[in-house]
Amino acid sequence: MKILIIEDEEGLRESIEEYFTEAGNICETASTYRNAMVKINLYRYDCILLDITLPGGNGIDILKNLKENNYADGVLIISAKNSLDDRLDGLNLGADDYLVKPFHLSELKARVSAIIRRKTFGGSNLLIFNEITIDLLAKEVKVDKTPVKLTRKEYALLLYFIANKGKVVSKNAIAEHLWGDGIDMANNFDFIYSHIKNIRKKLVEAGCNDYIQAAYGMGYKFTGQ
Amino acid sequence: MKLLTKYNRVNLITTVIVMLITGFIYYQAISWILTNQKDKDLKVEEQEAFDYVNLNHHLPQTFDSNDQQITFSEAKPGSVKREFINTTYFKKWDKDDEHRRHHHRHPGNGKYEAGRGLISSVTVGDKYYKILIVESIVETEDLIRLIFTITIAVILFLLLVLYITNRLILSRLWQPFYTLMKELRLFSVADARGISKLETTIDEFKELNNAVVEMTAKARHDYKDLKTFTENASHELLTPIAVINSKLDTLIQTENFNDRQSKLLNDLYSAVSRLNRLNQSLLLLVKIENRLLHEQQQINLRELVEDMIIQFEEIFQDKDLKLTYTLDEKEIYASRYLAEILVSNLISNAIRHNHNGGEVIITLTEKQMIIQNTGDNLTLPDEIFTRFHKSSGSEGSGLGLTISRQICQNFGFSLDYRFQPPFHTFTINFNVT
Repeated sequence: MKILIIEDEEGLRESIEEYFTEAGNICETASTYRNAMVKINLYRYDCILLDITLPGGNGIDILKNLKENNYADGVLIISAKNSLDDRLDGLNLGADDYLVKPFHLSELKARVSAIIRRKTFGGSNLLIFNEITIDLLAKEVKVDKTPVKLTRKEYALLLYFIANKGKVVSKNAIAEHLWGDGIDMANNFDFIYSHIKNIRKKLVEAGCNDYIQAAYGMGYKFTGQ
Repeated sequence: MKLLTKYNRVNLITTVIVMLITGFIYYQAISWILTNQKDKDLKVEEQEAFDYVNLNHHLPQTFDSNDQQITFSEAKPGSVKREFINTTYFKKWDKDDEHRRHHHRHPGNGKYEAGRGLISSVTVGDKYYKILIVESIVETEDLIRLIFTITIAVILFLLLVLYITNRLILSRLWQPFYTLMKELRLFSVADARGISKLETTIDEFKELNNAVVEMTAKARHDYKDLKTFTENASHELLTPIAVINSKLDTLIQTENFNDRQSKLLNDLYSAVSRLNRLNQSLLLLVKIENRLLHEQQQINLRELVEDMIIQFEEIFQDKDLKLTYTLDEKEIYASRYLAEILVSNLISNAIRHNHNGGEVIITLTEKQMIIQNTGDNLTLPDEIFTRFHKSSGSEGSGLGLTISRQICQNFGFSLDYRFQPPFHTFTINFNVT
């Protein structure tokens, strides 16, 4: 898939680029409003990561330009502003999602994957990863033909892992993805471990390969080609 | 003491003293003038007596007339000194006064009255006579008494009038002052409403009002500056935090960490996420205080709390907490975003400050929502609602309860804390009267 990262902060832009660059992905970057405008009018992308505050202009105008030209690129706004008005403005103008800085790269990846899934597969609601088939509408998981009964959080976790396959996802990122901001009062992240244990058990019992690996006590990695 | 009372007291005391002094001087002056007048009469009488003696060379017959008596008595030559005296005057009853005799305590055919006398002397032939002319001054005394009574009456009347007018005029006069006081008492730097211009014609109040308007405007302006600063600072912090976060995420993709490195990375992660939460809380606080979150909707609080409980399920289990809840149907009209933060803050507080194996009780009724939790067995101070107040060892931002209370204020609710052993109890009252 082809992704355009419009972000003026160099450190953040590089990290995102590095995280998204993998086999089958093309990442391009733009750091100014002008640069971004040129690129969106020359090329089409599966998803555009759009920062609102840019040198030389406002990201919202880039979004407007895209919509005026009827370009179908997916747009994910990454903004430092956590205000509902901005969020609603962005979404009303046709952005697909809105993510507030700071965020975990794995969270960004999961959101982008969701956007691309919606854009690319059109009517199909099936996400297939090797022997795992996920019906995104019905929220049902099957391994080959065997249905696997996952809880709401286990299901979200599986989708998160698949979006971030091949990457180490930190416990922190997992916790924030599943529990939001309320997570900080937990003693430790042991309960994440029990969740993961449950998913692994359920998948393996249904005849699935064990894709989830612990990574140095920091997080987990969903492997598998 | 009220200014009016103080003013009245001083005013009345001064008035009474001045009036008394004036009354006294007045009395003295009138007495002096009237006595002078009497003395003149007496001198005329004396002159008449002299003239008579000069003309006739014998004493005039004594007579009573016009409330005046004259008597002659032989005396040793040169023994009489001419002088005016205060004496008594024996008034014989007139025929008209006949009936009064019975009522009078003095026997005889007359009564004694105050009188003014002149002692003088005359020589008739070789005889030396003392002359005593006495005039009744009862009319004079009556006059003085009347004047004195009128003076006292005027004093009393004046005092009454002063008291009433002071009361009426002053309370009206001071009205702008009380209006201003009321406004100042209601004033809050966080409020959008300033102190209004006062309608008054009195310069002092105009000046006071101007000073207050200026001062409050400045206070509000400074407060706004401070808030803007907090907001800007927090915003500026977001980007570096985002960079650190993303770099950490990138760093853990590189292979092969030993245990020591993993531990360090984990610590970094939790520090960054704490920093982030703190920053978000500050931003949120500014936003709530600025009342920037306006979108309101009907919220089913029971459903919201139930969702929250499900959300926290694993964390309850993790700490082995026993959760009991009774939730009645309750709807509020408010910002959903803030309502979620409020409920989430209070529940996470109940979890965070609990001990393993403790208890949490959530009760929702039409009137209030109560969240109780076990924890340290001591009453928390009131400062728990102030910014950055934290129990030792707390991993929180120290802003949770501040935010919760701000949200409650924003919603028109009240948030109170009580310790009812063994439960720390936080109560939200929906109907604040």
